[in-house]
Parts: sequence; C-alpha cells; structure tokens
Amino acid sequence: MTESTTGVAAPLTKAPAADPPPPRGRSTSPLAALTGSGVGRNLGLVVALLILCGVGAATAGERFADLDNALTILRLAAAVGVVSIGMTFVITGGGIDLSVGAILALSSVWCTTVATQTMANDVHWSTMVIAAIAVGAGCGLVNGLLIAYGGVVPFIATLAMLASARGLAEILSNRRTQIVEVPGFDAFFGAEVLGIEVPVLLFVLVAIAGWVLLNRTTFGRRTVAVGGNPEAARLAGINVKRHTLMLYVLLGVCCGIAALMLIARTSTGSSTHGMLYELDAIAAVVIGGTLLAGGRGTIVGTVLGVLIFTTLTNVFTLNNRSISEQALLKGAIIVVAVLLQQRFARRSDSS
Amino acid sequence: MTDDDRGTVPPETLLELRGIVKQFPGVRALDGVDLLVRAGEVHCLLGQNGAGKSTLIKTVAGVNQPDEGSLHWLGEEVRFPTPLAAIKAGIATIYQELDFVADLTVAENIFLGHERSSGGFLQRARANREATALLTRLGHGDIAPTRRMGALSPAAQQIVSMARALSHETRVLVLDEPSAVLDQEEVRNLFRVVRGLVAEGVGVVYISHRLEEIREIGDRITVLKDGRTVATGLAVADTPTSELIRLMTGRSIEYVFPERTVAPPDDDRRPVLEVEGLAQAGVFEDVSFTVGAGEIVGLTGLVGAGRSEILEAVYGARRPTRGEVRVDGRRLRRGSVDRAVRAGMGLCPEERKSQGLLLDEAVSRNITVSSMGRFARAGFLDEARERRAAEELTTSLDVRPTGVTRAVRTLSGGNQQKVVLARWLMRECRVLLLDEPTRGVDVGARAEIYRLVRDLADAGVAVVVVSSEIEEVLGLSDRVLVVREGRVVHSAPAADLDESQVLDLVMEGRAA
Amino acid sequence: MRTTTATLRGRLAVAATAGLLVVGLAACTGNDTSSGNDNLRGGTDGAAEGSNDEEGDTVVIGFSAPAADHGWMASITESAQVVADSYGDVELRIAEGTNEVNLQISQVETFINDGVDAIVLLPFDGAALTPIALEAMEAGIPVINVDREFNDPNAARVTILGDNYGMGVSAGQYICSELEGQSDAVVAEIAGIDSLPLTQDRSEGFAEALAECGLEVSNRVAADFTVEGGERAASNLLQAAPEIDAIWNHDDDQGVGVLAAIENAGRDEFFLVGGAGSANAMRSIQAGDGVLRATVVYPSTQAADAIRVARLLAQDKAMADLVEVEVPRQIQLFAPVVTADNVELYLDTAFES
Repeated sequence: MTESTTGVAAPLTKAPAADPPPPRGRSTSPLAALTGSGVGRNLGLVVALLILCGVGAATAGERFADLDNALTILRLAAAVGVVSIGMTFVITGGGIDLSVGAILALSSVWCTTVATQTMANDVHWSTMVIAAIAVGAGCGLVNGLLIAYGGVVPFIATLAMLASARGLAEILSNRRTQIVEVPGFDAFFGAEVLGIEVPVLLFVLVAIAGWVLLNRTTFGRRTVAVGGNPEAARLAGINVKRHTLMLYVLLGVCCGIAALMLIARTSTGSSTHGMLYELDAIAAVVIGGTLLAGGRGTIVGTVLGVLIFTTLTNVFTLNNRSISEQALLKGAIIVVAVLLQQRFARRSDSS
Repeated sequence: MTDDDRGTVPPETLLELRGIVKQFPGVRALDGVDLLVRAGEVHCLLGQNGAGKSTLIKTVAGVNQPDEGSLHWLGEEVRFPTPLAAIKAGIATIYQELDFVADLTVAENIFLGHERSSGGFLQRARANREATALLTRLGHGDIAPTRRMGALSPAAQQIVSMARALSHETRVLVLDEPSAVLDQEEVRNLFRVVRGLVAEGVGVVYISHRLEEIREIGDRITVLKDGRTVATGLAVADTPTSELIRLMTGRSIEYVFPERTVAPPDDDRRPVLEVEGLAQAGVFEDVSFTVGAGEIVGLTGLVGAGRSEILEAVYGARRPTRGEVRVDGRRLRRGSVDRAVRAGMGLCPEERKSQGLLLDEAVSRNITVSSMGRFARAGFLDEARERRAAEELTTSLDVRPTGVTRAVRTLSGGNQQKVVLARWLMRECRVLLLDEPTRGVDVGARAEIYRLVRDLADAGVAVVVVSSEIEEVLGLSDRVLVVREGRVVHSAPAADLDESQVLDLVMEGRAA
Repeated sequence: MRTTTATLRGRLAVAATAGLLVVGLAACTGNDTSSGNDNLRGGTDGAAEGSNDEEGDTVVIGFSAPAADHGWMASITESAQVVADSYGDVELRIAEGTNEVNLQISQVETFINDGVDAIVLLPFDGAALTPIALEAMEAGIPVINVDREFNDPNAARVTILGDNYGMGVSAGQYICSELEGQSDAVVAEIAGIDSLPLTQDRSEGFAEALAECGLEVSNRVAADFTVEGGERAASNLLQAAPEIDAIWNHDDDQGVGVLAAIENAGRDEFFLVGGAGSANAMRSIQAGDGVLRATVVYPSTQAADAIRVARLLAQDKAMADLVEVEVPRQIQLFAPVVTADNVELYLDTAFES
C-alpha cells in the first residue's frame, strides 16, 4: 500500500508528473469521508452537537431552546473550556497534564487568602488576577521543568502535581471555603457586555487566542512539530525542551484564568474547586479530534467537545435525568470518538 | 505437501503469481505482475520506489488481497485471506522494519504466537533449546535465547527474525531490503545464512536496492516498474547491470557522480567548520578535522564505528565529553542543537522518517520548520509567503509529486530526502551534515541528490557526508576520513584513494 | 482499507454490546427495597377542609443536593421525593446530585431560567452557592437552604438546619449518664471530616457536655464519613487505646466500618454511641446484641421538611401550628438520643446507609 500512493519517484525520467489523488481522500463510505478530513471531523462534532440540541429541544422544548439556557450552558462550559484549550496545546505537543484541577484549586485558594484579598482591597483588585495566573504559571513551570529537563514522564510528574497542589491548597485554606469580598473583582467579573457575562467572554477570547496561537504562529507550528516527532523537531533546530516547558506553563496560565472564573462564579476560593477537571478536559480534547499521541490538535474541536459535554449535562438536568446515566453516555461518546480517531490514525499510517 | 522432494532436480515451483492486479482507490498499485519462485533459488525483486514491490510482497504475505490474477502455491491455486494463512502455508516475510517485542527474550520472540507450552504453562527450557537449534541452523548459535531482544544489534535481530520464520515450516522466505541496516561484514554473514537456507531447498525472495548485492547472492531476477513486471526470471549471471538499470528506469543511466569542481581549500581563509579534539567517552575519541567553504568531506567506516555519533556530536545532538566545534571561528555550545542551527549548521539524519521528518505534516511545513522566523512577524506566520517559498524550492529540486500541501508521508524516499535538503537550503545553512543521504533512495534520485550536494558545495557550503557505501564517499567527497572504532584512522584527498584501499582501512585500520 | 472498516465495525459492535450489557446488568442488579419512609407522606388524602395539606395551586420546586455518595445524603433526596410525591400539587424537579459547585450553580441557573416557584438547595459548599442563591432570591424565587448554610442571610428565605453542636451535647450527656461515677473513664471519639465546620461543632458540643460531668476525650481520631475511613480510623484507635469505656462515633455510615474494626479486634469492653441515626444502627440498638447502645439523630428529613416549607411559601400559606402568619426564617432540628427504649419511635424515619 505504501508504494501505491507515492507515485512515480524517478525524477530523472522526467515523466509528466500527474498528481496521484490525495491519499486521504479515498474512503470507503461517506461517513469516513466526513470524518477523514479536518473539516469533516469538526463537521461530525457539529452534527453530534446539533443532534444533542435536537434532543434537548424535543424533550425540554422552550426551556432548552432559550437564550438564557444557552448562556447557562456557556457559563458552565467556561472554566473547563479554558482548561481544555490549554490542554489541547499540551496534548498536541505530545504531553498530558493530570494536575489541571488541582492547579485550579490551588490557584483559587492562593488568590483568595486573607493576605491577597487585603492587598487586593488596598492596592487594586487585579492583584488577585495576577496572583491566580502567577500560581497557575508557577505550577505549570514546575510540571514543565520536571518533564522537559528532569526527564520525568508527564503522566507521573503531573500525577505528583495533582496530589501536591490540592494538598497545598488544603493546607493554605485549612480546608475551609474562602469567601471573596473584593468589590472591584466582583464588579469586573460580574459585568456584562451585550448581555454576556465577562467569564463567558473570557472563554470566547481564550478560544480565539488559542486558535490563532495554534494555527497562525510559529509557537503553534512548533507545538505540532514537537508532538508529531520530537526527535525530528530537535534535529531541525527547535528547542524541544524549552518548548515543552512553555506548553505546561501555558496550561498553568489557563488554569489560573479558569480559577478566576470559578472564583467569580462562586465568590469563593476552595480546595475542592476543579475536582476531576483533568478528566473532563482530556475527554473534551480527545473527542474534539486532537491526537492523544500528539502531533495534531484542533481548538475548534476542543471547544465543540466541551460544548457537547456541557450541553449533555444541561439536557439531562432539564429532563431530571440522573448523573449516572449521563456518565454512562459520556463514556460511550468518548469510546466512539476514540475508535473513529484510531481508525483515522491507522489510515494515515497506511497511506 | 511432502518434505522429501526438497532440492530435487528440476527445481520444484513453490510459488507462482499470474497477472496480479491490486487496485487502491485512485491508484493501480499492481497492474499485472507475474512471479515464479522455485525451491532452492534466490529470486531477486528489483524496482524503484513506487514500482509496487511492497504491495507485491504484502499480497504474497496475505496482508493484501489481489483484485485480479491468481496465486499458486505448490501447484494449487490458493488465497491467503490473512497473514496467518500465508505463514501456515509456509511463506514467511521479514519486513524492513523488523517487528518484535523488544522486552521479550530471543526465544520468546521466536515462538511468539505459537509458544512452546503444555496445558497453558510455558515450557521455557524447551523454547530456549529449540531456539538455539534454530539459531544454530542459521549459523548463529552464539545468540543466547535468553537475551533481551532489544539489547541485540540490528543484524542479530534480523537473524532472530529469520529464526522466527523458520520456526514455522517455511518453504518461501521473503526478505525486504535485509541489508539496509547492516554493515559489510554483517551482509556477508547474511548471505551465508541465505545460501544455507537455499541449500536446504527454501525459496528466497530477496528485495534490495543494491545491484552489487543482487549480483552476489541472486539466482534470478524479476524487475517491476510502475506495478508491472517488465522482466521476469532473468538469470543474474547473464544480465548486465546497465540492462537492469534500463529495465528499472526505462532508460539507461550510469551510476554517475557529478564532476568535482576543483576548488582547493583556500589555506589563507579560515575553514567554515572546525572540529577539534572532539570525544565522547566510550564512543569516539580525539576527532579533529576541518571543512572549508565549498568542500565535501566524507566520513566512512563500519556501522558502529562511530561515524553517525561523531556527526551528531558536531551538530550538538549528542553531548561530547571533550573537544570543541567552531563555525566561522565561533565556538558552539556543547550539546545544543538550536545553537548549532543558529550558527548555520544543518543535518540530514540517517533515519529520515523517525529523525528528519514530520511525516503527517505538509511538505511546505517540513521545509520551513527550521526557518519559520523568516515567515513570521511577531510570531505570526505568513502562510502564503511560506508556501510560495517552499514551492519555489520544491520546483527547483524537482520534488515529485508536486504540491507542497501534500503530507510528506506520501512521498518516496528520494523525494523525502530532497525535502530534508530543501529545509537546509531554505535556511541557507553554512555547514551541511549528511548522514547516509542515499539510504532507501532509488537509483534515479540518487544521482539527483549527488548533483544537489555538489551544487551546494559549489555555492560555498561546507559539507560532511557520512556513508557506508565506499563508492559514494569516494565519488562525492573531496576528502575522505576513515573512522574505525571511534577514531579517525586516515584522512586523505578522495583522488588519492581507491575502493580497495578504503575497504582495507575500514576493516583493518591501515592502508594496504 | 476494507479490513480496517471491518475491524472498526467490529469494534463498534463490541462497544455497543458492552454498553447494552452494562445497561442490562444495571437492570438486573436493581437494588430497590420498598422504601420505609411511608410515614413521610403528607396525607393529602382526606386532608381536613382548610388545612395546609389541602390541594392548592400547583407549585414547581427545584431541588439540588450534593452527590448521594453517602447514606444520609441519599436519604435527603429520597425523602424529599417521597414528600413531593405525596402532594398532588407539587412538581419536584430534581437536579441530580453533584459535588462540583460549578455544575450545581448551573443547575440553579436552570431553575431560575425555568422560573420555578421555589428552590430547595443543599449546597455542596454553602459559601460557593451563595451568589447564585442571591440571584434566585432577587429573581423573586424563594430559596430554602438546607443543612449547609449560605454566608449571606439574604440568600435564603428559610434555612433548615440540623444541630451539630446539639448532637455533640446529646452524645456527651448520654455518655455522662451511662458512666456516672466513673471519673477516670476512658472516652474516645471518632470524628468525621475534621476540617468541616460541622465536625468541629459536634466535637465542641461533645467536649463541653463531657466536661459537665468531669470527663474528657482521651483519644480522638478523625475519619471521612466513609465505611473504609471509619474502619481505618477505628483500627488505629483500638490499637492506640487498649482499654476504653465509651466511644462516640459521629456518623453511622462510617460506623459500619467502625463496627467492623471492633469486630476484627474482638473488643467489647466499651459501649458505642453512633451519630446521624441510620436504620441499621437503630436495628442494632434494638437487637441489643452489640457494642452499639445508642445513636444521636441528625435528621435526614431536612430536605423533606424543606419541600413542605417551599410548598407553603409558594402557596402563601403559614405554618399551621404557629400563630405567626409567615413561615419562619430559620428552623433548627433537634438532635435526640436514640436508645433501645425509644428506638421504635425513630426507626421509621431513619435512613438506610
């Protein structure tokens, strides 16, 4: 099969080079054609989302098909969405991060301690923002250093961070919920632009920035290269270690932003924030079409993945259905998505 | 099947393919292929990349099903719906990329899938005993069946793969480019093993790019071109090389190296690349050489002599324990590839697919990966400009098929190599390091790559070529360094050396 | 390529089969035991003319609570459902339990969007749910806060609480009376999740009640409300204290593990007082064959009461037995001690752990 698509490879013969058809275009079914290309994959997700919306509208009627409900879905999606976008970069770059939920918790606790809040009230509320993002970036830096320069496997390094960061969050907060009383902070994150809250807008902004970063910048290009073939990337002159480090820092920053969103939403910082976000984020990224092995990532897919899961939750809530059923369905969605993805990977291997 | 007719005269026909057609969507990979393999012969399969060799052996091995044509095994028409069916019938295929489990032992690998067991319990002693018997049959009783597979040399791994094939009742053994990972001594050994099998009546299908090997080991030749058999059953002894090349390429070419433009290194000017006292404990020692602008220096030696390691250390991909590397007089930081690249170095690595290319990425992106900064403003890429620049280069290098958005995976070996070269052309590098630049590259593209390297040198690039093909080193380089056991044992202008001298140096470390 | 498709199809089939199997198994392993909470029924049937139980305008009540990963918590939701079912005029919308505040907030948002008549909310974290509860109140939807208090009094119309401090006091007083005259008695305590305010309240009440009779807590360990945690904590405690006279265990769910540890250690020189009041703890007290001699109730019917209150609020009714025309702002439930003497009285409203 290998040779069949490579075409005539004898330039000396100067045969008129008729382009063989693009290898990925060949497909055995329309479904495969849809899921084969990048656009097709996203189209598949859009169809899935539309089906879900159809189910929602059919079962909950106007209660589902309603602007307020759409905003409810987006508000729920915002924090995990921002984390998922950061996760897309790490996974595309060939890594994984299990510690996002814990980093989020630590970040939310650190920036709501009495000390930080006092400072925020005395100086400026943005002190909290800086604190949250700095803590996230710091945790990401530790992850990145361990993985890129310490040679620790990402799974293990971030597993350690998962335990430690939440532990530190519990120590800092004494396992109490820390209530935020910083008027400027509330005012900013509570504000609405055109009827849309700041956290939702932040999610949109992060998604756009993530798309541009992944698809239009050297950083994104390098991320794909590092994830696709780290050795080739290294020999091509890319500083793979530094880049890997930066990917984890980027994800840490995303966790910091998500922490701020959760703080604004709950008016609290707590060591219980962000429980199991790592699994939600990884699930969203994977069903979005980013290769878990690295080398290919899609922000649009990730956003759709997040929306599919949150819409699912919303439809189940509207219908008084149990979370256990929802979890069962969620598992099924992940399995189907990954089966499709494997098939896609196999095909590109054999072409 | 009977066992007592092995080696009878006239040779029995084991496998016959008639008019095999294999269609992939959009491509007719095999378009009427005939092949006849007899017991006790080495049947060579020749053809350029893309001629259909891989598809053909996959069809024989039961991986692919032919769309038309018939397969005859011991005189009867058969189908092999699965690879297992082919193995059970007695056809064993050893692919270029050996498939084994690195963490299992030699014996475990040999009997993988048909473990020696009793009542579900493994009989390890028996497996080890039988493994040793098989390895001894291959002349390699020295490979301990309890060794971990991953710890073996590529040559030994290949022997184990053959033992695995023989652990089934194998009548036809298909070897896909078996010599690609071997040095000359190992190739000689491989030939010994193949001859032994042939003497036992096994039919061997041997695929190789190296015409000289085919001349040495082959009995008959079948040539494929564009999915068709253009000649079948040619006797090796009666067919001149030029005829084979004509059959493969459809025109006659010679194995030509580009004319050396005599540009003697200017002694007054500082050399572009200076390597001084470079050493890595236990790998290579005290390597010093310089390369001037426009000069091509060849590094040759046995596989494992330290050639690639030296190149990697020069490039910063491997951290030397001593010594230094200077480009244009500026000293490079040890073990830092990105510094080396910034200083103007470029490497075309030996393992093109695993070290050189982002296989699923577009051709253009593979070309620009090392000079992205040039197409970016504040980190934002101008993709249109990037693609145009890549197009210009691929056109001038005649990369086929055209189209820079195509995934590199879909290109043939030679064209992939051109893409890697284009990457460093794009970067306008000062020093180009080439590790086995023509491995897996067919005859036609070879000449083109030689031409390209010479052109680069003429444009003032300092070039270092590592190759195990002495002919290539002598033909391409201005100066040759011979490496043996981690040391540079000889350095001389290529014009002052001939093949046998270099061979002696490589093997013995001294000129005859 | 054909083989790939076939494999994929095969795999999908396998996945689908596996899925069906799971569902099937779930159907086969249904654990329904008829609920013993029949007496929670509001008795609309034959309600006296003019009484509060008389059917009124239909009210929609949204209900959200943490995940039912614990017998007491499961009972909260169950009893709320039972009460709601007993009224023809109550439509209960249960958002499934979650321990994720972000999701719980989203559930309340959905209730607000739906314009329900009242919301009964047992927050995973009182403080974290305060902003959204305030929002609901501002939207004119009365919120009934159950068990875990908001940090803003305006966030709830009515707050229904258990009495954690009182539980400690009840347990302490009971142990005092049982150990009367033994001033050197060894009293141990197995707490729940130590960092929760409710645990701290319980321990405080317990220590103060013991001090009244000159006793103190000699050994104190903390578990985490799970059977496994209870077993671990109790094993450690028994190892640390070779001779004990009385133990108070905060929670009957973790008490299953505590009893297992005691069984394993073969100890019976002391008596055990439970907490929360699970049905199996009460049955054990009734049987009188073990070390468990009493338990202090922390009512799991809080949410059920909250549903009733929510209905009254939505229908503009007052609490019949009070003179006051409005429903009170706060209702704190009593924490009685259940012993063999009075267990009959409580067994019916106890929860199954």
